[in-house]
Amino acid sequence: MAEKVKRWWILFITMLTISSTANSGYAILSVMKSTFVQKRKWLTEEQMEDYIALCQGCPGPLAINASMIIGYHVGSLGGALAAVLGCAIPPLVIMLLVSVFYAAIISNNWVRVFMKGMQAGVIAMLIDLIWGIFKNVTQKQKIYPLAIMAAAFIYTWFTKFSTLYLVLGCIAVAVVSFLLNKRKEGEK
Amino acid sequence: MTQLISIFLAFLRIGIMAFGGAYASIPLVEREVVEINGWLTYEEFGNLLALDELTPGPILINSATFVGSRIAGVPGAIAATLGSIFPACVISMIMLHIYRKYRKLDLLQTIIFAVKCMTVGLIMVTILRAAKNSILAAGSTLGFDPLMLVMTVVALYILRKWKPNPLWLMLAGGAINLIAALLK
Repeated sequence: MAEKVKRWWILFITMLTISSTANSGYAILSVMKSTFVQKRKWLTEEQMEDYIALCQGCPGPLAINASMIIGYHVGSLGGALAAVLGCAIPPLVIMLLVSVFYAAIISNNWVRVFMKGMQAGVIAMLIDLIWGIFKNVTQKQKIYPLAIMAAAFIYTWFTKFSTLYLVLGCIAVAVVSFLLNKRKEGEK
Repeated sequence: MTQLISIFLAFLRIGIMAFGGAYASIPLVEREVVEINGWLTYEEFGNLLALDELTPGPILINSATFVGSRIAGVPGAIAATLGSIFPACVISMIMLHIYRKYRKLDLLQTIIFAVKCMTVGLIMVTILRAAKNSILAAGSTLGFDPLMLVMTVVALYILRKWKPNPLWLMLAGGAINLIAALLK
């Protein structure tokens, strides 16, 4: 029992540290890997890779899903919750402080001008982001990915319906595509 | 109290749909927070995106904290954050058990691929809205803000070519805009 609780504590503290310093979900994953796989040997490299793939299929932040799954592997439900708490508390606290600071300074006109200027960088970052993903997904086929992108764009730009239906539709399309491919392979 | 519940539920909804990686949640947060609930304006949402680069942590939790705290202080931030991660926690546990039982990930890869494509379409919308808001300026003689347009294009070029941390570009953009305004 004490061993389990000790693991929970380690999970909590480790995630607390990682989450305070890492910049992106992938950075968090790589530190989790070096800590839990290489340093502590609580799971194998192969298990880690499978878990990462699993996380990407789940909604929500990569870091949270990874904390949940790996935490569960290491210390069952208590471990999962300890890891998630460790992961969620730093951004919560830091962003709270930033929000307070933001609220205090945003009424200043010059600050608003500055923040507007920042949007150039924000927009560029978003374009760069989808440029990369676009190139990535259109590598092997063009029509299928483009059709999904167009459908998503049209749905979101022209309607006010919840994105949930779009997500469900997208998953349905993926499942159909998967089954069609399986049948094609079966016929070969 | 009802406010806390509605914040919790709004981010719960976002949390359920947030498939497809970190940036996929951006358009979802935008729709729920700006369009459906009117908790932020487009301008404030753009500021949130910039602040998110500044702070560690996933955009989803950062958005939840930011919006939640603006509406209902610390309890609001906590309610929003809990709502946003609750679906992730539940669904990841379900997925883990399915994986342990069936050990196959190829259907998952197909779904992830489709969702990635969907995300591109969604972020395209966010980009156009942000551009409309920041670059197309109402009340200026040209109908748009040439400085913002030029800065965005240059920032994109720099980003594609040298891959710096976007935060620097944002800060530079802010500084340039400020200087330009001061010089007027």
